[in-house]
Amino acid sequence: MRTELRTAQERAGRLIGAVDRRRLGRVRADESIAFARACAEGDPRFLDAAHPAFAVHPMYLPSLLRGPFGARDTEYRDDGMFADEVPGTSGLDVRLMAGGQHIVFRNPPPLGEEIEVSRVIAEVERKGRPESPFLLITVVKSYRAAVAGELATVTERFIVR
Amino acid sequence: MTTSIGVGDAVGSVVLQTDPVRVLRFGAATHNAHRIHYDTAYANTEGLTDRVVMAQLHGALFFRAAARFAGSADGVLGVGWRNRAPAYVGCVLTVTGSVRAMHSDRIELELVEHSDDGTVCAVGEAVVARKCAFGLPSEPNPLESSG
Repeated sequence: MRTELRTAQERAGRLIGAVDRRRLGRVRADESIAFARACAEGDPRFLDAAHPAFAVHPMYLPSLLRGPFGARDTEYRDDGMFADEVPGTSGLDVRLMAGGQHIVFRNPPPLGEEIEVSRVIAEVERKGRPESPFLLITVVKSYRAAVAGELATVTERFIVR
Repeated sequence: MTTSIGVGDAVGSVVLQTDPVRVLRFGAATHNAHRIHYDTAYANTEGLTDRVVMAQLHGALFFRAAARFAGSADGVLGVGWRNRAPAYVGCVLTVTGSVRAMHSDRIELELVEHSDDGTVCAVGEAVVARKCAFGLPSEPNPLESSG
């Protein structure tokens, strides 16, 4: 196993169980609509803020990597990913891929409320053949709003090569 | 309106023509700057043939298939998917599926996403509330093939 991959495994392994919290800011209708349009959504409830049943697209928050404030240059890896998106990989010459997600929807995302996502590493697994190993890092994310409460739970897997 | 649902029944397909503009818009909306999505030369250095579609965009298509089956997005209780192969920007993605299990309060769907060359790009599942008024399985979306 390459040294960098081993380092990522050790770093991520040490973080198992530790909770990391991130602010996503307040959800605005315009931003959710832009998301819905970008994924070619056809449901008018997600596309028109004046619709009587307008709602934030349920996939918006689980797809959002940062709030509207973006990030500083130093918060990115050279490959354009956020340095802390895949735990343990900051500064390492490793390849990152999304492995998939499992989302449980609990409450509709509210407009105007501060959203916080807490993340915890659930598992770090070494996979693959000896000549082509990779890591599978499982992160569980919980999205909450102050008044609306728990919004969604996302179990996300990242592949690190 | 389909009211009688059983195990094995088809989930209406969801189709998306991907293109660089769509992918860039999706990346902007989600603050995703990963270069494998818009920088072909960089994607090549990672062993990819071309730029690839974001995992979350696959998820949005799985969600849409479930929402249409349920008759409303409110009826989707959960959705999941696992990436199986890169989906290169420019391909047509199609999500299809079937009813996997029926419960007293919910229905489980089995879903799969293919690109137009037949590659299975992702497999997944969704759970929808059984109380929903189930929608037409092939409701067209006029925006799906627009840029």
